[in-house]
Amino acid sequence: MNLKLVWLIVAGAGLVWAVVASTGTPPPDALREMFSGAFGSPQGWRETLKESTPLLVLGASVFLALKAGLFNIGADGQFVVGGLAAAVVGLRVTGPGGVVLGTLAACLAGSAWALLPGWIKAYRGGHEVITTIMMNNVGRLATTALAAGVLRAPGQQNAETPLLDASTTLPNVVQDGAFRLNWAFFIGLVAVVVTALFFSRTVAGFETAATGSNSRASLFAGIDVRRTTLAAMLVSGAVAGLAGALQVFAVKHQFNADFSPGYGFDALGVALLAAGQAWFVIPSALLFGALARGTSALSIMGVPKGLNGVLLGLVVLVFAAVRYRKEAANG
Amino acid sequence: MDAVTQNFGSVRALDSVGLEVQKGTVHALLGENGAGKTTLMRVLYGALQPQSGKVFLDGVETTLRSPAEALRHGIGMVSQHYAIIPELTALDNLMLGAEGGAILDRKAARARAQSLADSMGFQFDWDAAAAELGPAGAQKLEILKLLWREVDVMILDEPTAMLSPEDADALYASLRGLADQGRTVIVVTHRLSEVTAHCDHVTILRQGKNVTDFPVGAKSQHETAELIVGKALSPSAARSCRPGEVLLETVRLDVRGDRGDVAVRQVDLGLRAGEVVGVAGVDGSGQRELVQALLGVRPVLSGAIRLVGSDITRSSARQRIALGLRGIPEDRHEEGVIDDHDLVTNATLGHQRLAAFRRGPVLDRAASRALAGKVATMFETKHSHLGQKMKELSGGNQQRFVNARALAHEAKVLVAFQPVRGLDIEATRRVYAALGEFADQGGAALVVSFDLDELLEFCDRIVVMHSGHLASPPTGHERDRTMIGAMMVGTA
Amino acid sequence: MASPALQLLTSTAIFSAPLVLGGLGALTSERSGVINIGIEGKMLFAAWAAALGGWASGNPIVGLLAAVLAATVISQAHWALTQAFRIDHVISGMGLNAIAAGATSMLNKSVLSRFAGTRAAALPLPFFWVGAVLATVAVAYVLNQTRGGLRLSAVGHDPEKARQVGLKPVAVRFRALLATGLLAGLAGSLLVSNAGGFTDNMTSGRGYIALAAVILGGWRPWPTLAACVLFGFADALQLQLQGTGLWGAALPPEAWQCLPYVATLVALMAKWGGTKAPAGLGRF
Repeated sequence: MNLKLVWLIVAGAGLVWAVVASTGTPPPDALREMFSGAFGSPQGWRETLKESTPLLVLGASVFLALKAGLFNIGADGQFVVGGLAAAVVGLRVTGPGGVVLGTLAACLAGSAWALLPGWIKAYRGGHEVITTIMMNNVGRLATTALAAGVLRAPGQQNAETPLLDASTTLPNVVQDGAFRLNWAFFIGLVAVVVTALFFSRTVAGFETAATGSNSRASLFAGIDVRRTTLAAMLVSGAVAGLAGALQVFAVKHQFNADFSPGYGFDALGVALLAAGQAWFVIPSALLFGALARGTSALSIMGVPKGLNGVLLGLVVLVFAAVRYRKEAANG
Repeated sequence: MDAVTQNFGSVRALDSVGLEVQKGTVHALLGENGAGKTTLMRVLYGALQPQSGKVFLDGVETTLRSPAEALRHGIGMVSQHYAIIPELTALDNLMLGAEGGAILDRKAARARAQSLADSMGFQFDWDAAAAELGPAGAQKLEILKLLWREVDVMILDEPTAMLSPEDADALYASLRGLADQGRTVIVVTHRLSEVTAHCDHVTILRQGKNVTDFPVGAKSQHETAELIVGKALSPSAARSCRPGEVLLETVRLDVRGDRGDVAVRQVDLGLRAGEVVGVAGVDGSGQRELVQALLGVRPVLSGAIRLVGSDITRSSARQRIALGLRGIPEDRHEEGVIDDHDLVTNATLGHQRLAAFRRGPVLDRAASRALAGKVATMFETKHSHLGQKMKELSGGNQQRFVNARALAHEAKVLVAFQPVRGLDIEATRRVYAALGEFADQGGAALVVSFDLDELLEFCDRIVVMHSGHLASPPTGHERDRTMIGAMMVGTA
Repeated sequence: MASPALQLLTSTAIFSAPLVLGGLGALTSERSGVINIGIEGKMLFAAWAAALGGWASGNPIVGLLAAVLAATVISQAHWALTQAFRIDHVISGMGLNAIAAGATSMLNKSVLSRFAGTRAAALPLPFFWVGAVLATVAVAYVLNQTRGGLRLSAVGHDPEKARQVGLKPVAVRFRALLATGLLAGLAGSLLVSNAGGFTDNMTSGRGYIALAAVILGGWRPWPTLAACVLFGFADALQLQLQGTGLWGAALPPEAWQCLPYVATLVALMAKWGGTKAPAGLGRF
């Protein structure tokens, strides 16, 4: 097995080397640039933490579902509709009240977007991966249509809403030169801590984890497996919606058609790397945030941003080869 | 085939075991669970490679590196878990792995299958999904699969475990026919009465060693049983049972099976405090559905279930657990434990909503740990620490753990499905002794098993299930093995 | 000017053919028990290779062969990840999709950008339409009438029992994924034939829709084809109805684009085909 793992890593490194080299940048230079882009300056740190924030919250969302045995590929769609809901409310209710109400609306919207996949999984046995992918597409199309239609900012050509009033945003905690850190990051940390406590301390968390590990045994143990499955999906959707609200109130200050660069897979990666321990969502979100920021920095050197997808995919595959192996069959 | 010999040096599972089987005989291999029977057979079938030792076929030393190679030498095995794929038709199952060409010729295959079936006196609907086959049909199909592959040496692992006495007799009659044709049959079993009635020769294994070989009839059943266990058997202490009030009761209960059929029909059951009641029956007679309906994991079609006086027909499994109902599910691995979780979690599983194990919505982890310690010690589950994962325990130890968990905390009524499957004689006695003690303290237990002898030995009372109906043996025949056997197949 | 009906028919063929080929590719692996979320990435890589082959050589056959080769490489990588490394099928499929999306986007800019503005050589569309139907015939025949098909189904239903019968699930799945590679390669090549070149993420979720069609078709070839044609028709209709209102209200184009997704959700809600999943999906 260890030899096989070495093969996998060598093959992955070779692939990265090849795609980077094809762009004309020597791979060692690219690696150096990525690292310094993510951690080499206050600006780099600012961007890394900014990229990590949605991954922290979405990671907690996908982690929750994963514990219940669900692949919530739909976190992306839930994030997008959450963002739209937050922007809509924030545009109508200004001030801190708007932030609070908008966040609640985002959680509700995220939950609503998870309802159908959760219900189909729990009561119809339809695989959540397919249904959440479908909901992502519908969510992307619907929000784009709204942002380009009734919600479009006056005089704007692009599909985007007007900007929120400055009073309806989340302030920075630290603002030191080029370095900034928004409250959203701490809210993300709280989301992870709450998730961790939920699983280690509460009866509901116990039942959720039991359902995810062995739903049949859970049934015999008096757990309402269908309700637990649906509830896990709804909560996961609400947390993804929260991520959308934070993105609106802390970063974008509006909703637009390119709201998510495709966080769905990143969030799945963050949750997988956490390996069943909610606390590990924090370092793995930071890692993925750094990768996103590093590849962003690289794109200035002419290495396309696609590198991020390649790296994420490889990190997840190598990690999964170590951790998410199926038990070998006997005989 | 003249002789098969296996020598193993310093292997725990098998220790220099020699085995000699005569061509054209039905040879029984006896031993307790863990004695090495199955391991030895897997070596012979090529599924396991011995560290040392040799196999001789017709006097010629033969190396069997895989089941496929064993098949080429004419050795085939029917494992206890049938290798029949339910979604495929009976004919496709028969052909699978020996199709005879890249393009399937189902017409020719059917003709050959029919002639093989005719020669054995079997009947099959070739185009029906194999899922429709009952346990007896599946066993017959497995034997046909070996004949299809022109096997001379057949190994059958516990072939009658799921069969009624009548089907078992019919099976042995066909095995006898095969032996008369010059084929060799090796039967791995623990049912002594079948060996006496149907086999030619016996080999007994104990703790990985060949204890003795002898022709059937050379020793009495009691002597044979002693050889299997290795020490004189003490007769099990008879329990005096004083039934009290009815704790678990069903009234004209109907329950649907997985295929939409009515699997439990008009069942009236009364389980009283102080009783250990055994449910005898052939596998698939509705026991599974009855147990699941009682435990609240399968909906009731009509009728009622009452637990300690309250109607629980529509209650959730959780509500039933709160009322003191406990279960030992059929499939320990799928239904009883969570492999990836530790012993503390697994002990808590099922108890998690009870007041003793939580404070409001928060788990009481100290109480869970204390419970896990109690569960692990009750039947001496071998484990290193309570944080150990369930999957690191052996199957037998997992079963002990599940059994202990069911009795550990405020249990009033226990519904158990084959609670001693995979346990040796000693552990079986321990478990039934604990059930007896549980009953003596005012509890009641309902035990489903396919082993009638086990129920006769340990239960206070036996009821029989046959095609969904539950009945008690007539007065005067409460423990009449023949009568109960006849009821199991509906010929009483 | 073609009649609207003929136009609808042609665009239905255009939209459904890649779904049929991709769907059959997903079907062969799913019937052997390998969950094929990764079909999206295989099609995408195949499209990139088809564009490269077609552009670099000017020969459509080279483009096709390059696509099949690329899809086969990814498909066998998927085999290695699920069977040799025993990684969860959904995780490995999503991982491959992320790598495929990222790598093709990079290689598009670095390798293909020099061909911008010209058409990549590719086989004509009717070749693929006929191919899609022939592929359905072939897959149905192989699954139902041959030894390989029987073994593939057996492994897909219950790998453990198939192993008891003497089959090697890992080897059977290797062959199943070879078929997946061939079909995904055809699908990717067809996309290039449709578009005349490669653009980033040009499969845009068609692999997932093809997989949904497999589910709707109950993992059987002909019903899968029917589901793909249904989705293709919805797409064609969407194109034709764009700008048309419903009951007087103007509808944005996105409303029509949602049709295949909504149809999949409705079908899964109604449980069409959902109960016939190979029992051994994702198992070892």
